[in-house]
Amino acid sequence: MAPGQKLYPRATVKKIVKAHSNCNLSKNVDVTIFLDYVLFMQTLMKEAAIQSKQGGERGITARSVRKVTADTLAKFKG
Amino acid sequence: MARESRPAHNAAATPARQPPVNSDPLTSTGRPSIAVRTPGSQGRGLQRPQGLSASGRKAPPGPTATPHARAAFRTIDSRRAAIFTPHRTRRRSGQRDARETPRNFLLPLGRVLARNTQPITTSSSSPGSLQNPSSGIRQPGGNTILEEEDEDDYDDEELPKRPRLSLPIDVEDDDDSPLQPHRSAGLEDENFTVQSIELPRRAISEQPGRRLSLGSVRMSDYYFNANELRSEDVGIDSGFFPPMGAFDEDNDAAFGTDDEAAGYDDRQETDVGRRESGRESDFGIVMPGDMNESTFVMAPQLQDSPTRPQVDFNEPMFDNDDPRSDDGGSSVGGGGHMIEEDWQVDDGGGGNETTVGVDASEMNDDATVLAKSAALQRGGSKSKKRCKKVSKHGIEYPALPPAVVKRLAQTFAKTSGAKGKITPDELKAIMQASEWFFEQLGDDLEAYAKHAHRKTIDESDMLTLMKRQRQTSSQTTPFALAQRYLPRELLQELRMTPAPLKKCRKANNSAVEEDEEVT
Repeated sequence: MAPGQKLYPRATVKKIVKAHSNCNLSKNVDVTIFLDYVLFMQTLMKEAAIQSKQGGERGITARSVRKVTADTLAKFKG
Repeated sequence: MARESRPAHNAAATPARQPPVNSDPLTSTGRPSIAVRTPGSQGRGLQRPQGLSASGRKAPPGPTATPHARAAFRTIDSRRAAIFTPHRTRRRSGQRDARETPRNFLLPLGRVLARNTQPITTSSSSPGSLQNPSSGIRQPGGNTILEEEDEDDYDDEELPKRPRLSLPIDVEDDDDSPLQPHRSAGLEDENFTVQSIELPRRAISEQPGRRLSLGSVRMSDYYFNANELRSEDVGIDSGFFPPMGAFDEDNDAAFGTDDEAAGYDDRQETDVGRRESGRESDFGIVMPGDMNESTFVMAPQLQDSPTRPQVDFNEPMFDNDDPRSDDGGSSVGGGGHMIEEDWQVDDGGGGNETTVGVDASEMNDDATVLAKSAALQRGGSKSKKRCKKVSKHGIEYPALPPAVVKRLAQTFAKTSGAKGKITPDELKAIMQASEWFFEQLGDDLEAYAKHAHRKTIDESDMLTLMKRQRQTSSQTTPFALAQRYLPRELLQELRMTPAPLKKCRKANNSAVEEDEEVT
């Protein structure tokens, strides 16, 4: 289940979050952040698949992804 | 009983008539002593005492009683009788009421009046109808007369009067639709429930700009607003999450593709939106478009972060060299005015130094600054291609590599049952979504850390966030999620979390951890 053989770019994620929060990150938070991101992606893709099926499209399309992005983001609002 | 006695007493008041009638019963009763004085009245007096003696009354003062005294006794007796017969009066009144109908009065009245009154004759009444009342003196005849007269009235009228209609028929006919449909008739045709859908709202405490993390308006929200509101159906509150039809350009920029300049127009259109957002904008880069070469890039955060001006100048606009060279030639003089709009916007968005309405002098100053920056940019390096975004804090950050995102998306798309590969369009959308996600996550984490008076985002913040996201609950622990979703190497990293954080977790969490370590 674990996606990919390659690790995710830890430094990049750390930089992104640091830039957005203007805070320092403790040592291993980025792993949890990435875990959260993975969960977000899972939810996003699942919702997009549902949306595209409802819309009668085959496969996930960009439109369906865009449509569900707002809801999914709201779901992941802390 | 009492009623019978009363007429007798009344008659006794006139003793002249009574004596011959009542003398015989008096003698027959065998009380001669009473009958001695006033023979006419004593019959009454004796009969009374008889009835009243039964009730234990003493012997009446009959012999010595004068008529007045007798009358007084009578009233006393009647009172006594009234006292001892409780329902007497009521019975009497009831009997009298039953008897006294209007007919009782009307009958003699009719007899009296019928003799000397003429029946009412109308002008139209026929003479024949008059014969009946004159002949019939008896009472039922009077009734018939009246009825006949009424009939005559109807008969004599040539035409019955037209009934007056309460509603004018003619006016009604003139209407186009005489039958108005009911108000609810139209409801079945269309689905009106769609209009009653309540759009998501934010609490006042979550209004944009109130708190940074909660409901904050992200700069990306306003990024393509101007385009989006026109094109797409606004199903949700557009201020909240704008429809994302147009952030392809942004993604393109992130991917380093060539059509970065396409987003430039959009940015200028949404400048107003960003200005209103009151947030610091992250638009560090404005790409010179392929089509309009006059546009040129500026470093908005120059004055905000004077300590590291170099970073701002390392902008990806150097990808396209042609407009750069053009603008570079006239950068100091004419370039500044072109940027005026953008510069002003960025100031307003940052809200640090200048207000939205920038004076002309300030704009001139800004223009010179921009010109300087442009000049510096020309001399800058092109090394950092990836650093295209600037957060609201003025910190640049790289975009997540699309390969990672694509891999993740592909994996989850497969698990969610979707077939096919992920198209570039889709990847753009996903990249935009993940960018927003990180922005939101950064805001939230910042809020948590600030709330704890920390300057460092701890893992506890992240756990709090995941709990609030309903990602972790009593059933699903963060570590279980990590086991499921993270590669083993990352799990290793997670296992090395410091001890105090482990304490926060549940006991079974630690057990799971240990099991994991054992395996």
